[in-house]
Amino acid sequence: MALFLAETTGISVLFALPRFREGEFGGKITVNASDFPKVNDPPVANNQGKFWMVTTDKGVLALYKVCTHLGCIYAWDNLADRFACPCHGSQFQEDGAYIAGPAPRSLDKFAQEAYNQAGKLVANSDDGSPMPLPSDAVIVKVNTGKKILGKSHF
Amino acid sequence: MAIIGKRLVKQVKTTGVKATIAQRADDAFTRFTSGLTWGDVRGVLRGDPAPRPNPRVKPHTEGFWFHIRPTFYHEATTSLYPTFRLGFLSALFFAIEIITGVYLMIFYTPSPERAYSSMIDIITNVPFGMFMRDLHRLGAEVMVIVVTLHMVRTFTTGSYKKPRQFTWFTGVVLLMVTLGLSFSGYLLPWDQLAFWAVTIGTSMADAAPVLGPTVNLLLRGAPDIGAGGLLRFYLLHVVLLPLIGIIFVAVHYYKVVRWGLSLPPEMEPVGEDNARKVPPEKRVNFLPDIATNEIMYIAIAVAILAVSCATWYHAPLETHSNPLVTPNHTVAPWYFYWLQGLLKNTHIIPILPTDISTVVDRFFANVLGLTPKILWGIIIGPLVFVLLMVVPYIDPNPSRRYGQRKIMLTLGALFGALILYLSLAGIPTGVPVTGFGYVGGAPAAEVAQEFMPDEGDGALMNIPFDQMVVGEYQVSPDAGVANAPDLNAVLKEIYYDMQRRMTSADPNGRKLSQDAVAKVQIAQIQPDLKELTISISYTDDQTGTPQLYTKFKFLHKNADH
Repeated sequence: MALFLAETTGISVLFALPRFREGEFGGKITVNASDFPKVNDPPVANNQGKFWMVTTDKGVLALYKVCTHLGCIYAWDNLADRFACPCHGSQFQEDGAYIAGPAPRSLDKFAQEAYNQAGKLVANSDDGSPMPLPSDAVIVKVNTGKKILGKSHF
Repeated sequence: MAIIGKRLVKQVKTTGVKATIAQRADDAFTRFTSGLTWGDVRGVLRGDPAPRPNPRVKPHTEGFWFHIRPTFYHEATTSLYPTFRLGFLSALFFAIEIITGVYLMIFYTPSPERAYSSMIDIITNVPFGMFMRDLHRLGAEVMVIVVTLHMVRTFTTGSYKKPRQFTWFTGVVLLMVTLGLSFSGYLLPWDQLAFWAVTIGTSMADAAPVLGPTVNLLLRGAPDIGAGGLLRFYLLHVVLLPLIGIIFVAVHYYKVVRWGLSLPPEMEPVGEDNARKVPPEKRVNFLPDIATNEIMYIAIAVAILAVSCATWYHAPLETHSNPLVTPNHTVAPWYFYWLQGLLKNTHIIPILPTDISTVVDRFFANVLGLTPKILWGIIIGPLVFVLLMVVPYIDPNPSRRYGQRKIMLTLGALFGALILYLSLAGIPTGVPVTGFGYVGGAPAAEVAQEFMPDEGDGALMNIPFDQMVVGEYQVSPDAGVANAPDLNAVLKEIYYDMQRRMTSADPNGRKLSQDAVAKVQIAQIQPDLKELTISISYTDDQTGTPQLYTKFKFLHKNADH
């Protein structure tokens, strides 16, 4: 009886689980280096890839737009110079570092690659850390299939 | 056929045509009422005393609908106290929801492309569509209140005690079904409110260790809420949860028939249950007294609901859902405020000083894998329901008398107070004195949010359209705009709100600067369309630089926001 129930549950779950095609979610989003804001300028939203484009003095960042707490879309609060989530009040620095609120970790980032006009890889950030750009003419590919979880503050 | 014909002919021959028709009609009537002849029903309607033997108990043994109701009540349970008829009203609202829900289903399509336009269609084009939606929505809210009060009543009178433990258990399941129905119904309009409330709800499941992500995928049908999620919530709302609800209502009702309605606590010897041992002179038969009484309750409840929906109540509909923007001050439905409040807890043990708390949090997260999000959202939240379910099994006190249940009643009151406190923490303004749960940005932005929120109603938008005189106004206690008393009143309100924010800091310790000035601009964009802008210039409290915050909204003359 227990076995039968377990089997039925298992099959129902497998049946109801959604199926994805390879690459259906996430992909490499191409942006121009000039699309990134200047240092100290407010972040720029990329809605296609659902990330914020941020420039810090260490380089450019692509922050996943979803709050690490419960999935709301946090917004840039220009007046307070930080990201703030409207749902439960988590706050993050421009580089995604956790400031306050119930979020368990800093903001999630995407891996990035930069290519020059000739198509040669000139910079690379596998762990989502700030990537210095050699010039404004390069093309940045943000890999939204590769999400790097933010650092837990616990 | 031939046999029936022969019998009929024989009957006509012996008793005559008229008597035969009367006899046959009465037979059909008796079958329809499961045992009451027309004469019996007439007696019921006239208020005749029941003959002996009482034919009015027959439907209870012969038919389905009366079979699930007790044959008689103890007269002590028939007045308002002790039941307040809350259980009956819960079932009534469940029925109202099913009827209005089926009507809405006809005009609704569960797909992201069509859902919102279905809603617009229902509230503008469909005959009585808006009325039906209002009934459905208000009925759902009232149902949550009635079900909760029913539980509070059952707890207070100790009616969950032996032999009714399992009745209480099914009641908790029905509470969860009620909340689940409300929550799954929330997503269907596919507006901003819907989208974000459900995103938060399903993200909570995601936080659970091991199984969380799978449960989240099952609910959403994809990593993000989209077509799959909408369809799944729709099926939950119209098939699975109502089905569970109907099954458990049936069990719940059966248990009420089996054990009877519990007597007022003071009428029974401690530890005994005499609900089924009612002396004949104390019995009130279901037919006709209770039944007519319930018909009156139905009439009053439906009338109040219908008049409310026809006059002051309209179900809210926000702007179309936008996966890229979470509106400011997003909140859960009010009956989940307590859960939202719980989720705002940033620490495992909230009352410790910050330094110690951080150490405690680190210990739990790294040694036990327990983060505040998992604790408050996944463990404590559902634990509330588990706790409710086991109350009758762990309460050792056999007495139902109020005076002998001081501990349990105190615990119940504390639980209620805690839920209220957490509910306060759930709303963006947080708890008044402690400031726990406050979600807010710069003071200037909060002023604008207060009078012109991202979603929903604000005082500025509620000024009558003809009083929105085109022009630019500085907020002041006496703006003196001619022929626009409502506009003047709102300008005054904003002025005093800003004064308040200048003198007292918000829970984040921020104040509006003393030099802050706010202006409201009203511009005519099209013949029936005006643009409202609120702009606040102030000095930022953190950087010391002058800032300007502006926010605008368009309002149509016929808008019913």
